[in-house]
Amino acid sequence: MSATTLRDKQEVFRDELVMRDRIAALLGDGPKTVPELAAALGRPSHEVLAWVAAMRRYGRVEERGKANDEGYFAYALKA
Amino acid sequence: MADAAKLAVVRGPSTSALGLQPSYDVLVVGGGIAGMESALTLGDMGYKVLLVEKEASVGGKMILLSKVFPTLDCASCISTPKMAATSHHPNITTLLYSEIEGISRDDGGLFRVRLRRKPTFVDWAACTGCGECEIVCTVALPDEFNADLVARRATHIAFPQAVPKKAVVDRFGTSPCSFTCPAGVKAHGYVSLVRAGKYDEAFRLHMEDAPLPGSLSRACYAPCEGECTRGTLEGTVPIRAIKRFMVDRYYAAHPIPEYGPSAATRAERVAVVGSGPAGLSAAYHLARRGYPVTVFEAAPLAGGMLRYAIPAYRLPKDVVDRDILNVTALGVELRTGTPVGSLAALRADGFAAAYLATGTMEGYALGVPGEDLDGVMDCMGFLKRVNGGEPLDLKGKTVMVVGGGNSAIDPARMAVRLGAAKVVIQYRRSRTEMPAHDWEIEAALEEGVELQVLHTPVRFLGEGGRLTAVESLTMRLGEPDASGRRAPIPVEGSETRVPVDLVVLAIGLKPSTGSFASEVELNRNGTVKVDAETLQTSLSHVFAGGDAVTGPSMIVQAIGQGKRAAFYIDRFLRGEALAGVRFDEPLPVVDKAEVVARVANITPRPAAPRHERPVAERLAAMAEVELPVSEDEARQGAARCLDCGGCSECHQCVQACPAHAFHFEMREEKAEELVRSVIVSTGFKLFDGRKKPLLGYGRFPNVINAMEMDRLLAPTRPYNTVLRPSDGKAPDNIAYVLCTGSRDCTVDHRLCSRVCCMYSLKQAQLILGALPLADVTIYYMDIRAFGKGYEEFFQQARGMGVTFVKGKVAQVDERPNGNLTVTYEDIEGGGGKRQMEHDLVVLSVGLLPNRDALQLFPGGQLEADPNSYVREVDEDLEPGRTSIPGVFVAGTASAARDIPDTVLHAGAAAAQTAAYLKRMEEGR
Ligand SMILES: Cc1cc2nc3c(=O)[nH]c(=O)nc-3n(C[C@H](O)[C@H](O)[C@H](O)COP(=O)(O)OP(=O)(O)OC[C@H]3O[C@@H](n4cnc5c(N)ncnc54)[C@H](O)[C@@H]3O)c2cc1C
Ligand code: SF4
Ligand code: SF4
Repeated sequence: MSATTLRDKQEVFRDELVMRDRIAALLGDGPKTVPELAAALGRPSHEVLAWVAAMRRYGRVEERGKANDEGYFAYALKA
Repeated sequence: MADAAKLAVVRGPSTSALGLQPSYDVLVVGGGIAGMESALTLGDMGYKVLLVEKEASVGGKMILLSKVFPTLDCASCISTPKMAATSHHPNITTLLYSEIEGISRDDGGLFRVRLRRKPTFVDWAACTGCGECEIVCTVALPDEFNADLVARRATHIAFPQAVPKKAVVDRFGTSPCSFTCPAGVKAHGYVSLVRAGKYDEAFRLHMEDAPLPGSLSRACYAPCEGECTRGTLEGTVPIRAIKRFMVDRYYAAHPIPEYGPSAATRAERVAVVGSGPAGLSAAYHLARRGYPVTVFEAAPLAGGMLRYAIPAYRLPKDVVDRDILNVTALGVELRTGTPVGSLAALRADGFAAAYLATGTMEGYALGVPGEDLDGVMDCMGFLKRVNGGEPLDLKGKTVMVVGGGNSAIDPARMAVRLGAAKVVIQYRRSRTEMPAHDWEIEAALEEGVELQVLHTPVRFLGEGGRLTAVESLTMRLGEPDASGRRAPIPVEGSETRVPVDLVVLAIGLKPSTGSFASEVELNRNGTVKVDAETLQTSLSHVFAGGDAVTGPSMIVQAIGQGKRAAFYIDRFLRGEALAGVRFDEPLPVVDKAEVVARVANITPRPAAPRHERPVAERLAAMAEVELPVSEDEARQGAARCLDCGGCSECHQCVQACPAHAFHFEMREEKAEELVRSVIVSTGFKLFDGRKKPLLGYGRFPNVINAMEMDRLLAPTRPYNTVLRPSDGKAPDNIAYVLCTGSRDCTVDHRLCSRVCCMYSLKQAQLILGALPLADVTIYYMDIRAFGKGYEEFFQQARGMGVTFVKGKVAQVDERPNGNLTVTYEDIEGGGGKRQMEHDLVVLSVGLLPNRDALQLFPGGQLEADPNSYVREVDEDLEPGRTSIPGVFVAGTASAARDIPDTVLHAGAAAAQTAAYLKRMEEGR
């Protein structure tokens, strides 16, 4: 993590359009936090957050309840 | 007025002397809180105000804030009434999404303002701000109104409280791929649709421009890929493979088109002669325009070169059949086996217009002895025969193909498949000069075709009328000829003879136009003479296109000509003028270097995979050589796309918009206005944290700036609450680094930014409200709480438990868990170097002058102060007056200020302006 290499934001944002279906498929099995999604996708958490945030913005996912003890929210497909 | 002498040098002609009347009393440049305040004050006094804002909404930066200090009023609640008042005020005209190109002052003291209205591509009178377009848009861009923390779409409403709440589309130009397509196919559009998983939509977008996507997905030479910007990096977007993926998928699901015959809204019948891509495309586009169309085809099957030239291993014939259904489903009548010999006959049959697309279906002869022997064929004769299904057994035979273009490669590879023992391509120049595509030559070589370069046949020899051998000469290369290639020169006495069973001559194709020579004008090479724009021939009701006009070209070029001809035939039949009407006017192509520069650090991606059937397998049958890419490969390939033009022209928004507000034909407009006075309220810029590299901004996701934190705290925030960007954790230990980029000689900004202490105190309090268990630490040198109620605000933060550390932060480092170590010099307690861990660091970045303001007027007329803010000539007694008479400055354009001070200053500038206007009126 200390060696995080930040890809250009435009490149990260663009990937949402491809990754959103994979994220939706994972959330089909139940709500997940950003680190959980990142582990399942094998992609960095900061990129996954950007994708989840855009999916939330355009009505695909929503947060469920409060943050867990570690401070992470679970996201679920929007009904 | 010390500047009068300088002004005289650059003054324009006196517009007032010319008797022109100013259209406004005041031009206000910039619609932030200062500009709105000045405009409203002057508007209320009865002055006519023109307010010009470069963004798509008024509001400036204030509307993006969470709350304002020290009252903790909601920023948008107090901004929006002002925004609405500005936009509805009877004396204020707001010009949004517009930029000032320059202002000049004439002798009479009037200002001539040159304006550029950027196209929004949305009719704002119709747009209701519903946001449906954003949901379907397939291009993601950083959202500047959310400090780039989240993506927005190419079509977007600036922010939820925008006034007016209207969409704009970011189009930087036409993407190189789409711009270069001769058929106007929106390559970027379908690439972005496939990327977004909208495969059927991608297919349908293609069908807007070209009806034969299957054939193109196999055999198009893909000029788009040649122009693709990603190709200047590590490899082009695999545009054609992506098309094939979308077409295969669509055709598998739709064995017949989804639509039926188009409504015949036009009575005039149109004849299309030739069913190649040019003819089919014209028929398709004419039928879509409501014309009854009949296609006449001499051959037994439709498709032209698609059917008879391009071999099935490159273009399976069931794909051609399915493509043709796209045309016939519209009700186009196809009459195969029906050669047309006379245009007059068509006219007599009642066709009001005709389109000639007969292609180049015959080969040229070489002109050497023995060409008439049985066993010497021209390329089209050979291909027509085998592609037409007539048996031709070449088992054990030796075949020589003469020529070096693509039309030599196809017969050679075909001969290998027909069992020939030896296949040689003989070419008179060297391989470097071969016009065939290199990958096609390579594929032929892989399949066992031999290349004999620098040779040319001089005689075909035979026995009993049948070819037995070829006599050839060796050539050498001389100087470049008219084609730019080095000319082949025969080497005397170098004749050799080899036994050959079949010769295929592929030395060029000639237009199939002979039967019309007496009716329409032809060029000397036999192509039909047309107007390059309208494709009209010497007979006004006859148009022509495709290879019959261009000479041998490519499928996509022929399709483009068909579409163009349909446009002009329609105008012709409606009796509308053809001259001076452009068929297609795309936005200028974007500059690739600018696209690459836009993306700071592109991460190379693995090359797009290409799959081919192994040689042994492909030769066994006419099996298609190229294999499809998988869904994942297609989408990952599409994800390489750099969105060169911004919007991809996928047209999803056009379809989704309930108000039909999208107008992609909108273009930039220029305007000029004459005004009596100017207020510059162009605001400030923010310090870029990257200029203090030791603080980690731009390197560590959890180092953010205070504008980003204000967005995280605002009701219209990018995430569901305050989350740290590295992993979406709600932070519980947040640090503020005050004076980042202020009071700092190392970044050439000595001034205090006046607002950072206070906004940090505000944010600390709001964080404690949102995340009650969080710790907030503020690293400071001194807290500047100078205004009314500010000291109390500071004490309030203390009382809430915010920790204040008097210390200068020198460095921030990232830990493996994404947390950050802050290293600072303790300048209050025991002194010395200290370290502290936090899970989010906020840089309280300073305000910088917006130097763009100085460029509004030519030649440095609008003077800057030593810190590059707009200079106020008498800051103490006449706030707002600048170096140019009649030009005033309001708000942070002249110094760092908080909102209350900005509003006050804008009021003062308005008062100065009013006084100036009054003096002008009274001639004082
Ligand atoms: C071997 C070979 C391989 C090629 N490979 C490719 C490739 O991979 N990619 C690519 O982009 N381009 C390729 N091309 C070029 C491409 O095929 C042409 O650019 C394209 O087909 C031109 O379309 P068209 O409609 O003008 O002509 P054509 O396809 O030639 O169609 C003309 C039609 O008109 C008919 N016709 C002619 N006279 C009459 C008449 N009097 N009455 C009625 N009908 C008539 C003909 O029978 C024919 O069906 C290739 C060409 C050749 C020769
Ligand atoms: S055409 Fe497509 S990419 Fe362009 S704004 Fe509309 S939906 Fe977005
Ligand atoms: S990067 Fe995308 S938009 Fe740009 S030329 Fe390539 S495919 Fe077209």
